[in-house]
Amino acid sequence: MLAKLLVAVCFAAMLFGADAPRKVFPYAYSQEDLPNGLRLVTVPTDFPNIVATYIVVQTGSRNEVEAGHTGFAHLFEHLMSRGTQKYSPEKYEATLKQIGASSNAFTTDDFTCYHTTFSKEDLETVMAMESDRFRTLKYAEPEFKTETLAVLGEYNKNSSSPERKIGEVIADTAFDRHTYKHTTMGFLKDVQDMPNQYEYSLRFFDHYYRPEYTTIIVVGDVKPKAVRELIDKYWGEWKRGSYQPDIPREPVQDAPRINHVDWPSPTLPMLTVSYKVPAYTDTAKDTAALEALSFLAFSPTSELYQKLVIQEQKVDQLFADNSLNVDPTLFGIQARVKKAGDMEYVRDQILETIKTLRNTPVDAARLDAVRKHLRYQLALRMDNSDTIANILARYVALRRSPDTIDKFYAQLAQLTPADIQQAAEKYLTDNGRTIVTLTGARSAN
Amino acid sequence: MKPLAVLLLTTVAATAQMRVVALPSKSPLVTLRIVFTAGSAADPPEQPGAAYLTALMLARGGTKDLTYRQLVEAMFPISSSVNAQVDKEMVTFSGATHTDNLEAYYKLLRAMLLDPGWRPEDFQRIKDDAINSLRVNLRANNDEELGKEFLEQNLYQHSPYEHYSAGTVSSLQKLTLEDVQRFYRTHYSQANLILGIAGGYTPAFLERVKKDFRSLPEGGGFRPRENTLEPIRRNRAVIIDKDTRSVAFSLGFPTLAIRSNPDYPALLVAISYLGQHRSGNGRLFDRMREKRGLNYGDYAYIEYFPRGMFLFEPSPNLARHFQTFQIWIRPVEPPTAKFALRLALYELEKLCRDGISEDSFEHTREFLAKYVNILTSTKTAELGYAIDSLYYGIPNYNQFLKTRLAKLTRDDVNSAIKRYLRPDRLVIVAVAKNGEDLKKLLTSDAPSPMAYNSPKPAEILGEDKVVERFGLHLAPEDVTVVPVDQVFE
Repeated sequence: MLAKLLVAVCFAAMLFGADAPRKVFPYAYSQEDLPNGLRLVTVPTDFPNIVATYIVVQTGSRNEVEAGHTGFAHLFEHLMSRGTQKYSPEKYEATLKQIGASSNAFTTDDFTCYHTTFSKEDLETVMAMESDRFRTLKYAEPEFKTETLAVLGEYNKNSSSPERKIGEVIADTAFDRHTYKHTTMGFLKDVQDMPNQYEYSLRFFDHYYRPEYTTIIVVGDVKPKAVRELIDKYWGEWKRGSYQPDIPREPVQDAPRINHVDWPSPTLPMLTVSYKVPAYTDTAKDTAALEALSFLAFSPTSELYQKLVIQEQKVDQLFADNSLNVDPTLFGIQARVKKAGDMEYVRDQILETIKTLRNTPVDAARLDAVRKHLRYQLALRMDNSDTIANILARYVALRRSPDTIDKFYAQLAQLTPADIQQAAEKYLTDNGRTIVTLTGARSAN
Repeated sequence: MKPLAVLLLTTVAATAQMRVVALPSKSPLVTLRIVFTAGSAADPPEQPGAAYLTALMLARGGTKDLTYRQLVEAMFPISSSVNAQVDKEMVTFSGATHTDNLEAYYKLLRAMLLDPGWRPEDFQRIKDDAINSLRVNLRANNDEELGKEFLEQNLYQHSPYEHYSAGTVSSLQKLTLEDVQRFYRTHYSQANLILGIAGGYTPAFLERVKKDFRSLPEGGGFRPRENTLEPIRRNRAVIIDKDTRSVAFSLGFPTLAIRSNPDYPALLVAISYLGQHRSGNGRLFDRMREKRGLNYGDYAYIEYFPRGMFLFEPSPNLARHFQTFQIWIRPVEPPTAKFALRLALYELEKLCRDGISEDSFEHTREFLAKYVNILTSTKTAELGYAIDSLYYGIPNYNQFLKTRLAKLTRDDVNSAIKRYLRPDRLVIVAVAKNGEDLKKLLTSDAPSPMAYNSPKPAEILGEDKVVERFGLHLAPEDVTVVPVDQVFE
């Protein structure tokens, strides 16, 4: 099968009239599929010398379908530096050091991303080394056990944060069957049991570290043709897999839920209100509408923020998070309340705001300001190759293509106040709601 | 080791003129970094937090003409803001905007810094935020940053560096609007100003900015209180006692090896070898995490590096006349805490005794010569480093470091290690549950053997036999236990 070469050119100013909206992703890029299912996205930029590679594996905590094995997608973020026959862990680190690279990885609900930033002359070294570990990772049980302790260490370093804890409880309370019920770190009991799961880890790798799950993003001082040649050379032999996880569907939530966390040490009370919302879409307005709504109703310019944070000064943090996820997920609102006695008041104010969103269209001028904000926010972040690759990774994880960004922003551009109201009516419902609160051992004030 | 009996130097400009760092380019973005060289070391002795609250009043309060709400509404569509960072010697206001919005943005920024509103309601909110940030964000929710900042306080006792740059709870409570206005009038002067700008602005725009900032008083530059640093004569430890799952350590000592010091590049090589930040290539990381699974990571620093758990590269504009050598041991399980501390000190002692090998020297030098490109790869970092270079009186950091690294020898590195690093006069800060128990453990000579969940090579087990008895040299009078609610109170 011949590889398909798509070259998307978006010289916005040349292709569109002055009145047409500019595409938000302003770089020309190439998107190509290898016969084995691996996808390559190359984005030449005019930032000199530096290249960033982001390798996105569409496997996150969402894929952890087997009971007792939560946290394995994230565990691989660690195991991937445990060596191959060709590159021992020492040689791998020494090579990264020799080329002065910055290299790391992160895991989310939906994907794991391995990223490296380095000088352009070292592209072949990085490609050779990365393909080697993706294709032939080999670690023995003792090293596996040691690495699981580093994961427990990561759990420990996170454990002094009540935000982490409330995040765990929200997921566990809101979901019954879907794997979003656990966070990316996994349940503590599973993390503690990881040292005993060597065999399972080999299976997990065999299932998911496959070309059809993987997209390589290369951004920076590069030429697409030269990048493609390297990809063919080093990744062409990687074997396609066949595993398809059976990810449980979450039943419709039919009643509001509440939960509470008693935090053992002093901290400010926290209040979260979450709603079940649909999976990411850019062929309909739903996700875009919820994204705009999160800013309209809860960002620092919103009525509620101005009231609770600036005027009454009862709350010191207020924000909403609209997750862009592969499967139906949560829209979350979070407030940190200065006095525990104000918790009910703040909760009622948030619920009242939701009610108003369901019943009244938002101001069109404010919706325009949100759209403008989001476009400039993206433009301002794209000031170096590493961040551009990082932004792309999150969209590529959803739809395997950079044009996902433009499709999503095109939906934002078309939103009307009626769309916002419809999204609120449809998704921010009482039955789909989960409220989780957290209070410290005693008030910090 | 000579005591650090050096006065905090000053950078009083000969003439009271602002300094400008300009990096024009064809970028569609414009980045500003506006630095006043009067940070928390300029706080009046009874007013820790004055510099901090002053900066927040400018960055998160209204202007003379606009309420904070109006300001936020004006910034929102252009997705821009002005952020404040306060350190010992520098207060930095930074922000970026698209060239489409440069006029609108600059009008707001100019008013924020030159015509602040000083509204009492803004002051109350900002003060509450500052107190909650200390009590909750730092003290309650982030053991690692808490340990690092408390280490700073313990390293610089009785000097203007001593207090946390964001103040203490009791001092913040007492500070008045008049206090911060006085700080502003005294220190926000042309002599203290470094104006940094990068990106797609025009020469005429820059001239306008300079003209506007000439409305600040000329000032005489920042003259800190004269004080000396007290030498650390032997190991001592402070344990912050709080209800927490694991044990976080930070340890170190003050150093004069700042960027303008001729030994800086040599020490940078030594420290990168010992524990390059958030990288798998450091010695501590390899021996502690990779080989033994003690925790999530272990690193070493030659410069103060706040918020390291959130950042891969350090924030610029934390330039200082004294810097901090630091080892950061990320949280460990309580039963292995003493072994982890011993191992870190064992590795430090080994470095001090043996220096680094020719191979390690070459590889680390090579790494740094390329890694510096990554450090300065964003416009805001490039601009920030250029400002710091001006402050330290060194050339462009990227070129400076590459040139100096190229001339460096292994002997330079090993002799710098001998002169600046030491394993036995350190301050150690731990954040742990049952502080008194940890104190007993740290002050006892009893071995702390390791038990592993998997077979280990003989080399590791042999080394463990030495490490488990490694002397911490801590007598009971050298260890203090502080309840968490007294820290920064």
